[in-house]
Amino acid sequence: MKPESMKQIEFNTTLEQDILVAMRKPRPVYWLALALSALCFAVGMVTWIYMMLKGMGIAGINNPVGWGVFITDFVFWVGIAHSGTLISAVLFLFRAKFRNVFNRSAEAMTVFAVMTAGLFPLIHLGRGWIFYWLFPYPNQRQLWVNFQSPLIWDVFAVSTYFTISAIFWYIGMVPDLAIVRRRTEGIRKRIYSIFSLGWTGSLRQWQHYNKLYMFLAAFATPLVISVHSVVSWDFAMSVIPGWHTTIFAPYFVAGAIFSGTAMVLTLVIPMRKIFRLEKYITLDHFDKISKVLLFTSLIVTYSYIVEFALAFYGGHKFEEAHFTYRLLGDYRYFYWLMLFCNSLLPLSLFVKKLRRKISYLFILSLFVNVGMWLERFVIIVTSLSKDFDPYNWGLYFPRWPEIAITLGSFGMFFMFFLIFTKVLPILAITEIKEEAAE
Amino acid sequence: MDRRDFLKLLGITSSATLISSCGVDKANEKIIPYVVPPEEEIYPGKALYFSTTCTECPAQCGLQVTVKEKVYHDNRSLFPTKLEGLAGHPINDGALCARGQAGLFRLYHPQRIKRPLLKDENGNFRIATWNEAVERIQKELQTATSAGLTNVFFASRTTGSLADLIDEFCQKMKVKRTKEFEIFSHSNIREANRIVFNQPLIPAYYIDRSDFLLTLGADIFETFISPVQFATQFARVRENSHFTWFHIEPHLSLTGVQASQRLVLKAESEWVLLAYVIGKLSHSQAAKRNLPSGILQILPRFEEEHTSQLTGIATDHLQQMVDSLSRAVKPLLIAGGVSTAHSHGLEVAVLASLLQWMVGNDNNQIDFAGAENYQQVGSLLDVEELVNQLAQKSLGVFFISRANPVAQLPVNFEFSQRLHNAQFTVGLSDVMNETIRECQLVLPLSHPLESWGDAVPHYGLRNAIQPAIEPQFDSRSEGDILLQIMNSGESTQRYKDYLFERWHKNFGEEGRKDFLTHGYRHEPLPKIQWSLNTAQTISFLKEMKRDETEAMNLLWLVPSIRTYDGRGRDLSLLQEIPDPITTVTYGDWISISSQMASALKVSDRDEIQIATHGFSLQLPVKVQKLLPDKTLLIQRGAVATLPVEIDRRSGELYWVITNTSISRTGKRIALPILAGSMEEEGRGLLPEDAEHGHGHNAEHKPWYPEHEHVNYRWGMAIDLEKCIGCNACVAACYVENNIPLVGAEEHLRGREMSWLRVQPYFDKEGQIEFVPMLCQHCDNAPCETVCPVYAAYHNPEGLNVQVYNRCVGTRYCANNCPYKVRRFNWFDHHLPEPLDKMYNPDLSIRGRGIMEKCTFCIQRIRSAKDIAKDEGRLVQDGEVIPACAQTCPTKAITFGNLEDKKSKVYQLAHSERAYHALEELGTKPAVNYLRKRGNDHEA
Repeated sequence: MKPESMKQIEFNTTLEQDILVAMRKPRPVYWLALALSALCFAVGMVTWIYMMLKGMGIAGINNPVGWGVFITDFVFWVGIAHSGTLISAVLFLFRAKFRNVFNRSAEAMTVFAVMTAGLFPLIHLGRGWIFYWLFPYPNQRQLWVNFQSPLIWDVFAVSTYFTISAIFWYIGMVPDLAIVRRRTEGIRKRIYSIFSLGWTGSLRQWQHYNKLYMFLAAFATPLVISVHSVVSWDFAMSVIPGWHTTIFAPYFVAGAIFSGTAMVLTLVIPMRKIFRLEKYITLDHFDKISKVLLFTSLIVTYSYIVEFALAFYGGHKFEEAHFTYRLLGDYRYFYWLMLFCNSLLPLSLFVKKLRRKISYLFILSLFVNVGMWLERFVIIVTSLSKDFDPYNWGLYFPRWPEIAITLGSFGMFFMFFLIFTKVLPILAITEIKEEAAE
Repeated sequence: MDRRDFLKLLGITSSATLISSCGVDKANEKIIPYVVPPEEEIYPGKALYFSTTCTECPAQCGLQVTVKEKVYHDNRSLFPTKLEGLAGHPINDGALCARGQAGLFRLYHPQRIKRPLLKDENGNFRIATWNEAVERIQKELQTATSAGLTNVFFASRTTGSLADLIDEFCQKMKVKRTKEFEIFSHSNIREANRIVFNQPLIPAYYIDRSDFLLTLGADIFETFISPVQFATQFARVRENSHFTWFHIEPHLSLTGVQASQRLVLKAESEWVLLAYVIGKLSHSQAAKRNLPSGILQILPRFEEEHTSQLTGIATDHLQQMVDSLSRAVKPLLIAGGVSTAHSHGLEVAVLASLLQWMVGNDNNQIDFAGAENYQQVGSLLDVEELVNQLAQKSLGVFFISRANPVAQLPVNFEFSQRLHNAQFTVGLSDVMNETIRECQLVLPLSHPLESWGDAVPHYGLRNAIQPAIEPQFDSRSEGDILLQIMNSGESTQRYKDYLFERWHKNFGEEGRKDFLTHGYRHEPLPKIQWSLNTAQTISFLKEMKRDETEAMNLLWLVPSIRTYDGRGRDLSLLQEIPDPITTVTYGDWISISSQMASALKVSDRDEIQIATHGFSLQLPVKVQKLLPDKTLLIQRGAVATLPVEIDRRSGELYWVITNTSISRTGKRIALPILAGSMEEEGRGLLPEDAEHGHGHNAEHKPWYPEHEHVNYRWGMAIDLEKCIGCNACVAACYVENNIPLVGAEEHLRGREMSWLRVQPYFDKEGQIEFVPMLCQHCDNAPCETVCPVYAAYHNPEGLNVQVYNRCVGTRYCANNCPYKVRRFNWFDHHLPEPLDKMYNPDLSIRGRGIMEKCTFCIQRIRSAKDIAKDEGRLVQDGEVIPACAQTCPTKAITFGNLEDKKSKVYQLAHSERAYHALEELGTKPAVNYLRKRGNDHEA
C-alpha cells in the first residue's frame, strides 16, 4: 500500500471517529440546552393554543397593522432556510469545495427552519383550526382555493421547498448513515441500517448516487430563487406603498442568503468549538463564507438604496411619504439599527484579519441575524402602519404572545438542531474524505 | 359481501365521515318550526313596523321601530331590532340622528330598573311590590299634607297627554307641579322673545324658507332644539344656488364647519356685532321695517373699525356679511347655543330678535304659531327656588321623574345633599342614575317603546307613542303609575284607555286609528302676526349690559352631539362611535387650540389641570386646529357639576367659565383618538380640484378579466356637499349590522369595528371636510385577489362579498385594502344581556378570527330581491336603502343600481361632480363621491 493511501485511510478513520464523537452519549450541558429549547418550544405552543381559544386579539396586531411579528418570523425563518440549499446545491454545482464542511449543518438548518417557518402562516391565521382550507383538496362543497392569491403560492412554494430540501438532505446523508451503521451497535445499528437503505458503497451505487445528487442539486437550485421570490410577492403583489415594488424578489433572495449564511455561522462556530472540528472546518473556510456574507450584504445594501431611489425618482406621493416615514418616522430606530447591522457592520469583512477571527464572525453573525429580522419587521410594519388613508394610520407594538411564540420558534429550531447533532453525522464525512483524497 | 363491496363501503363511509367533519361551524341558532300558526299577520322572517316617537332628546322626532321575530334564550318572540326615522314626519322625515339610533341601547339597557325598590333604614334598596309602593306614596302624601309640607312633582320636559295627566294628578293629590327641568332650557331665547314680541317662546325656525342664514352660536346640526329637522331643511335649501350661510361662533363646532362662511368672534361680543348690523341696516334698503326711533336712540352704536376690534372679525368679513344680509330676500337669524349662554346672552338674543324683526319675516321663516313646546319648562331660577325650599325643609313628598339633576346641576346647587331634606323622595326612571340612587322609593318606568303615550314637540304636531314590545320587566308607564296612585281602591283606569278616550274625543274613531298608523297628526296653526313691544324693549335696552369684557382662557362647557346634556353617556353605542371633529371615542377630554398647546408644551393625550373658583379638574388634551386661542372646550356631560353662574334675569345657565388657570400635570392619559391623522395632504380622498372631472386619471388596464354584471351592479353616491359629519350613519350601521362594541381598551389598540366611519380632514384651505368611508365595493378589488380561499369574492351584482364561513383569517385582505375598511374580529364579541336582544336576526354574529366589512346591507338587498322575484320583476330604484342612507338627515347618501341608467345613483355617479377616492389606484369603486360646488353654484 502506498504511504499516501495509508495516510488517507488514517485520515478517514480519525475523521469518522471525530465526527462520531459528537454522537456519543450527551453530557449534562447538552441535556440542559435541549430542555431549555424544548421548554421554549412548549411555551410557544401553549401560547398558540391559548391564542386560538381566546382570539388573535391577545397579540399586538391591530388595524391597520394586520401582520406583525408572526409574519416577520415567517419571512425570517424562510430566509434562514435559504442558505442550506444555496450552500449545498448551488455551491455543489459550482464545485466550491469549501461547502463540504458546512453543507450538512446548513441543510439541517434549512429543514428545521422551513419547519419552523411553516408554522407561522398557521399561527397567524384567525381561525388556525381550519388551516387545511388553504390546500386545494377535493371536497363535497366544491370549494377551491384562489390561485390568484400569493398566499396560495406560498403554500406551494414552502411545501415544495421543504420536500426537496428534506430529500436532498437525506440523500446526501445516506453514505454517511452507512458509516454510522458500521460504527454503532444494537438497536441503533438497526435503525441506521434501515435509513442507510442498504448502502454498500459499491461503484454502481456511487454512480447512481452521484447522478441523483447532481439531479437534486440542479432541481433545488431554482428553488432558492423561487421560494423567497414567492415569499416576497406576498408583499410585492399588494398595493401598499413600501410593499408594492418590483425589486422585492431579488432583494428578498439576497437578503435570505445573507441571513441564512449568518445563521450558518451562528450555528457552526459553536459546533466547531464544542465538537473540536477545528481540523476540518478551517479558517480558510470561514474566510470564504465571510466573503459570501459580505457579497450578499452589499447586494442587500444596494437594494436599500434602490428602494429609496425608486420612491423618490418615481415621484409618487405615497411612496415618497412612505420612505420618508420609514427613515424618519416612528420606527426609525429599528430602521437605523437594521442599517447598522446589515449594511455598515458587514463592511468590516473587507478586512482579511476580521474574516479569519472566529469570535468576531460569531458576534457579527448575531448582529446580522438581528438586522435581518428587523428588516422584515420594518418592511411589514411601517408599510402597514401608514398607508393611503391617514385616518386609519396606527402604530403596532408586539405584546407577550408574539414574544412567547417567537421564543417558541427559536426553541423549536434549536431543539431540532440539538437532536440532529446527536443522532446524525454533523459533517458530510464522505465528501470531506473525497476532498482530502483530492 | 365480497371484498370489493366491502372496500367500496369502507371508502364511502370514511370519506363521508371526513367530509362531514370538515368545515361548517356549528349553527348557533336552534330552528324551531311553527307548530301553532302565527297570529296577527306575523310571518317568520318578515319585519313589522311601528310608528312612535323618539324620546332621546327634546326634539321628539318621529320614529319607525323595526320589530323582528327571533329566538332569544330558546324562546321565539318579537323584538325591536332597529329604529328609523319616520318617513314623512314633519320633524325628521325618515332621518334619525346617532342619539336616536342608540335608543335601543336604553330599551335594553343592562341597568334598567327591573322592579320597585324601597330604601331601608341602612340606606340599601330592597325589592318592593307595586301595591306596597303605591300605598307608601299615598301614606306619605297624607302625612306630608297634614304636616303642612308641600309635595312637589319635578320632571323633565313633558308634553302631550302625560302633561295633562300630571296636572290632574297634582290637582287631585295636592301636589305642586314645579316648572320642568331641562339643563338646556333656552331661557334667554324665550325671555328675549317675551321682551321683544310678548311671546315667551322658542319659535320654529325654517331654514328651507330662507335664502340667507345667520347663525350665532346655534349648533343647529348638533343639539340645538331640533337638529335633525334643521339638517333635513338644510339639505333641501342646499339645492338652492342662492343660499348663503354665515355662522359666527367663539369656538369650533361641527355646525360651524358646514357653513358657507364660518367667522370666529371674541367670546361674549355677539351683542356688539348685532348692534353694529342693526345700526348699519336701519334706514337702509335692506330693512323691511324700521325700528322705532326710541329703540334706535338707546341702542349702542358701533363703527365698523370699532366693531372689528371688539369682535375680532375682520372688516372685510363684516362687510361681506352685511352685504349678503342686505341682498337677501328671506333672511333668517338664529341666535342660540354658546352665543346666548353667557353673561351677555340675553342681550344677544334680544338684539337678534330685533334684527329679525327689522329684516322681516316675509316667508314665515320664523313661526311663533308652531313654536317649540317648552310651555312647562322652567329655568334654573325655578330650580334654585326649589332647592331653597328643600333647604328650608318645607317639602313633603318629592317626585322626580325622568330627570337627573344630581348629575347635571352645577355643584353649588347642592341638590343631592338638600334632596334629603324632603320628607320622602320618589324617583321614576327607566335606567338607574345618580339622582335615582338618592331617592327613597324607586319606581321603574317602562321605556317609551314599551308603553303608550303621545307627545307634542311643537304646537300643531302630536306624535303617537305606542309599544313595540311588552314591558320586559316589572315596570309601568308613568301614566299608569299616576293613575294608580290617584285612583286607589276605585277601579283603576289604564293609561292606554285614558289615552284612547282622549284621542277618540279629539280626533274621532277614524282619526284615532289614522293617528296610530301614521304615528303623528299635524295641524298647522294660523300664523301669528308678531308685533314689537317697544316699551318693554326700550326698558330692557336701558338696563342692558354694555361692558366689553376681555376674558382670558375661556372654558366652554358645550353640549355634545353624542350625549346631548350627558344623558347619552350611559348608552354604550354613543361611546363607541367617535365625536365627529376630534374622533375621540371613550373618555373625556379637553380641546385646546394649537397656540395654547405649543405655549403649554402639550400634545394630544397630555393631561392638563384647569383651576377655576376653588374647583379644579384634570383632563387629557386634544389639540384642535381651527379652535380660537385661549379657548377651551369640554363636553358638558364630562364635567356637568362644575360651579357655573346663571343669568339672574332669565335663569339661563352660562356655558362658559372665564379666567381659568391652566397648567400641565405631566401625565399622559390613554385617550382613544381614532384619526391617525387629519391631514389629507392631497392623497386623493378629497377631490383634487374642481376641473378634474370623472375618470380623468390614468387608464388602468386590469390584469384579470373584468367582471360582468347582469341586471345589477350596486353602487352608491355620497354627496360631500350635504354630509354634515354627524355620524348618524355610523350609529345606524352599528345597529343594523350587529357590529360588535369593543370598548375603550380595543379602541386604544386601533381595533374599532365600525364598517363605516366619517373621516374629518383638513383640506388645502385648512377647513374641515368630512369623507364617509366604507367598503368601496371595488370592481378591481385589491382584497379579492389576495384571499387564498375566496372568502372575499366578487358577486355577479358587483358586491364585494365576504363569506364569513369561508374566512380563515389571514387578514391579507385588510392589509391590501387601500381604504382600510375591513374589520377583523380579534375576539368573540357579544353584547351583554339584555342588549343582545337587539341583534338583527337577518345577520349572523361573527365569531373570532373572521374578517368583516360593509356589505351594502346585503340583507336589505336580499329581501328587496325576494319581493321583486315574487312579482316577477327587477328591483326598482329606491327599493333598497341601506341603513346609512336611510338615517342620513341630509340624504347625502344615494344607493341603487348602476346598471340601471335611469336610477338616481347612476345619474349622480356620472355627474360632473363625481369622483372616486384614491382614483389613481384603479380600483374602480362602486362608491362615488360628489364634490362640493362652492358657494354660488348653479342649481
